Formats: sequence, C-alpha cells, structure tokens
Amino acid sequence: MGVHIFDAMGTTVSVRVVEGADVSSARLEDALAGVRHAFVAFERTFSLYRHDSELTRIARGEVRLADASPEVRDMYAAAVGWRARTGGAFTPHRPDGIVDLSGLVKAEAIAAAGDVLRQAGFDAFTVNAGGDVLTAGAPERGFWTTGVVDPADRSQLLTTVRSDDDLPAVATSGTSERGEHIWSTPVHAEASLRDTIAQATVLAGDIVTADVLATAIVAGGRATLDAVTDEHPVGVLAAFGDGTLAANARCRERVVR
Amino acid sequence: MRRSSAVILVSASTVTLGAGWLVGSGYLAPAEVAPTAAPPTVPDSNAVTDAPEGTGAATQAPAAPVPVTVDGAIIDTKYGTVQVQVVIEGDVITDVIALKLTDSGETSIEVSARAAPILREEILAAQSTAVDNVSGATFTSEAYRTSVQSALDAAGFTG
Repeated sequence: MGVHIFDAMGTTVSVRVVEGADVSSARLEDALAGVRHAFVAFERTFSLYRHDSELTRIARGEVRLADASPEVRDMYAAAVGWRARTGGAFTPHRPDGIVDLSGLVKAEAIAAAGDVLRQAGFDAFTVNAGGDVLTAGAPERGFWTTGVVDPADRSQLLTTVRSDDDLPAVATSGTSERGEHIWSTPVHAEASLRDTIAQATVLAGDIVTADVLATAIVAGGRATLDAVTDEHPVGVLAAFGDGTLAANARCRERVVR
Repeated sequence: MRRSSAVILVSASTVTLGAGWLVGSGYLAPAEVAPTAAPPTVPDSNAVTDAPEGTGAATQAPAAPVPVTVDGAIIDTKYGTVQVQVVIEGDVITDVIALKLTDSGETSIEVSARAAPILREEILAAQSTAVDNVSGATFTSEAYRTSVQSALDAAGFTG
C-alpha cells in the first residue's frame, strides 16, 4: 500500500491505495492525477481565496447567483437543502452575507476523488483531506482505522474507529483550529459551556453527510446533536466545551478494542 | 392531618410521583406535581430511591428541594414494554430518563440513537491499534507538518 500526498484547498490531502498485483504503476499514476484534478477543479470554481474563481466574482457582485454556472447553482442548492435539514445550523452564507460554499466543497471534492479511484478499478483506498476521511473496501488486515484527535491535546488521539461499508466516511469539525468555516447561528447564542460542542466527529454513509453534519453539530450545539442522531443513521462522538464526551451506539460499536 | 390524608389518597390514585414525595415525610405533596407527566402506573412506594428526610411536622416549611428519583412501573404498550424514571426537584420535573424502551416503533429507535455521555476510558482504543488516518478539525497545510497525520504519512512511505 502506498501513500500519496499533495496540497489542495489550503490543506494537505493523503491518499492510500491498496494496489492489487495486477495494477500497473501507470494506471495508478493516472488515477492519482485524476484525484488531484478533482480537487483543483473544485478549487478553481469555488475558492474565495482565488481572485478569479466564480465564487469570488459572485462575492464581488460581478456575477449574480442566478446567472452562475450550473455547478455553482447546484452546489448552492445543495447547501440550502442542508441548511433546511440541519435547522439552520449549516449555512451557505457567511455572517456578512457572502456566499461561501467551502463547508460543502472539500467534501464534494473528496467524494469526486473516490469516484475517480473506483472508476480506475481500485476498490480499497482512503482519501483524507485535512482530517476528513473517505474509505472504500479494506486493507489486508481487515478494515480501515481512523484516529480521532483529542481537542484538548491535538498530539493525542481520543479514540480510534473502524470504517465499514455502512459508515465508510469520517469527518471531524471543531473550534480549535482556524480554517473551519463554521458560522454560529442564533441557536448558539444562549448556549452554556456544557451545551457548547468543541469538536464533533461524524461517521456516515458518505463524506458530504459526515462533513456537513459535523459542522452543523459544532455550530448548533446540543440541540443539533440530538436532532442529527434522531434523523440520520450516523455515528457521532462529541466533545463538549466543559471537557465531557458523548457518543451514540453507532460510534461506540466501531471503537477498535 | 385529615386534609393531608385526603391529598395522599388523591395523589396515590393518580400518580406514583405524588406518592413518592410523601413517603417518610408526612407533609403535603405539592399539588402541582404534574400528573400529566407521570407514566400510567400503579402506586408503588418502593420505587422511591431518594426521598427527602422529613420531620413529621405538617406545619413546618419544607427545606430546599432535594431531587427525588422515581421509577415508573413497567408498562406494556402495543409497541412493547416501556419504563421511565422521573427526577423531581420541589414541584418541578427536572428530568425524564428512559429506563426501558420498546425496540419496535420509530420513536423509541430515534431516542436510543442519541449520543449519551461517556467516559474517556469507554472509548479508549487498544494501544496496539494500527491507525491509517487521523480525523480532526481541519488542519491547514502549515499545521499538517506538525500533525499526527503527517507522521503517519511519513511512516507510510516504504521507499
């Protein structure tokens, strides 16, 4: 198994691929080039750090959202859909009103990278972009494992979970590092420390669901945590502002003993 | 005491909660203890696990509320058996805990899917566990160099 690393979207991406005996290095190189391209293509359109991206032009008022490309309008529609499904905790707008789809775009790029690898004939791999992990299949020893960072000491792991076909994606959101695009909504305003969530890890059937729900839980606090576990078949591990932890059964049963 | 007894009878015939309040205390159950929030159950004074110490004097003002925990009876419903525990402070129900939930029916499944408090030890993974990836709040390209993930990736290079 090889590890392949590159920078994209302001973070670092690592790709692990289990190479079958019959895989030529050329086929693997082609697939990895496709993976890099997936990230570059999303970044070119959606990055607010690029002065020439379509989203930057929308932010500057040069292009109206209604006149944007189908890709941008679809992504915006998807983000608005997630806003509705998370009670407003996930939102495609910054507090200043600028449309910011970065909460969705990285996960969509990870998903697209997974599609590239599958179409190239690889069925056992992981794609990790900035701590959000999509897995497929399994390595030789049986299953992929993902360690969850301890928000109180980022050099330590809180736990390690295995991925399986039901919940192959793991995403973590938190308040401990910059670069998180989490805009607190009014539901957060009166939250006490024990209702504030410093970090949320979500195990889900796809990486977009995992990433969006992890973001929503951190933004929305305990109320969103309960709503998410009521409404979605996901595993959740939450670290509250007072240092306490909570997890549901789908998460606990995947802890590697 | 006549009036007090009458209240006891009414409370006991409607809710376990009222009966629970009264055991060993002798003074009036707060009339407000909401009968509507109680499980449909028969009186069961044995259910009281933390009744306040009473003085036996009906005229003495109650001290600060002590939390009282009352287990409801096990109820058979068409969805299966259900039992709840209710915590009361003064005349306010502060918590309702599901002790037993039916495993058929959407509502109970939703409730049991929720995240519950855990201790760190409960999710401590085996020391020998090989970790393929690390999930944490997004690290930037710069932060990556000092991250656990970068150490894993470096270890993954076999040349």
